[in-house]
Amino acid sequence: MLRRVTSSIVQSRGIKHTVNVKWVRPDYVPSYKPEKSGDLEGLPPIPGTTLGKYYAQSEEIKDAPESVKKIFSVAHLGQKEFSLLVKEELKSRVRRHKYDDGTAETRSAGFNVNYCLNLQKIVQEQIDRRKKLMKYLRQYDYKKFEWLLEKLEIEYKAHPESHHKLSRKESLRKLTEMHCDDVRDKKLDEYRNLLESQQGPFLKQKLDALKFIRSEQADLQMPITVTEQDIRKVEEQLKEWTVKDEIKQQARKKKKNILLESD
Amino acid sequence: MARSVADAARKLLLLGQCVPTVKQNAAKIRIKRLELDENLLMVTKMCKTGDIVLIQALPQKLTKLITHEVKEVVYPFGDITDPITGKKVAKEMYREDVDRQTELYGKLESSFDHSKAPPRGWQEGKKDFTSKPTYTKFNVFDDKNDPYAI
Repeated sequence: MLRRVTSSIVQSRGIKHTVNVKWVRPDYVPSYKPEKSGDLEGLPPIPGTTLGKYYAQSEEIKDAPESVKKIFSVAHLGQKEFSLLVKEELKSRVRRHKYDDGTAETRSAGFNVNYCLNLQKIVQEQIDRRKKLMKYLRQYDYKKFEWLLEKLEIEYKAHPESHHKLSRKESLRKLTEMHCDDVRDKKLDEYRNLLESQQGPFLKQKLDALKFIRSEQADLQMPITVTEQDIRKVEEQLKEWTVKDEIKQQARKKKKNILLESD
Repeated sequence: MARSVADAARKLLLLGQCVPTVKQNAAKIRIKRLELDENLLMVTKMCKTGDIVLIQALPQKLTKLITHEVKEVVYPFGDITDPITGKKVAKEMYREDVDRQTELYGKLESSFDHSKAPPRGWQEGKKDFTSKPTYTKFNVFDDKNDPYAI
């Protein structure tokens, strides 16, 4: 009863959060889109005047008039003939021998065609088939798998560990976590910079002190506790620090200039 | 008694498979046991995702997660060797037999050559996104969008 009353009085909806986290829900991307299927390349450049795959092998077409050639060109014959040419082009990149048509490489190349042509109906099935082929190829021959990715211009991403519907709560939690990490890292970086900036003056002081101690001990003919090596070590440290500091300062200057230019 | 068992367990070598991880210079190993799977993290990433490795417990834990070290890569992933003959295998055939077959048919220049291929990992982070775990995309960022988000 009390809980009900308090929840009705104190509305959590209206409370403004102090953490500045902005969530943009990612749009739905259909699987035939290249960013989802992993195809980085569009159609290979095949001009419309190219003859169809099997008509090109004919003897008669070689000395046929232009009008006949036009009729048997891909632009006239339609998309089916065009896709045959695309398939041939892609398969020829990875073919082992002249008769090779059933190995994992050539089959994967064949599946590429439909993404290029954007035939939405069959794409979903074929994406999965290609992915499966690539998955197995990865298991039994990793080097060939990488070579195939390069040749066919495709990306391979493993399946996520869990498939679930995206929720607002989960996304906000992750974003808040990232924000917290950023805050922590920033603070740590600042502290590190502060400590590193103090390193230089301290090393200088230490170097002077060591030199002074050594000269005093020599003057007073006491046993010398500070060796030349100690002094050299500190000098090297100081040198390293100055080089690092210069690089840092230059980076800072560049950042300032960029900010000024953007303003 | 309990201490001696723990000591003995520390000296044990475990066989596991390297799985994708976000951590740098460390590997996550999945160990299959009869009852449950155990996820552990190792020092020095000498193995890549999918490799079968031998691990041993460190005398002291380095961090909360890093408890073991990788001793040896037993079976590299995607590069299978037949233990009896010592020949390389692709699926159900020896690789040299596949090459011989290709040569008989007439090898083309477009075919893949194992001897010229660079070692595994040259596509990592470029076209091959398997070294880290992928996840469902949960936000649209202005500047950087993670390729591991699907």
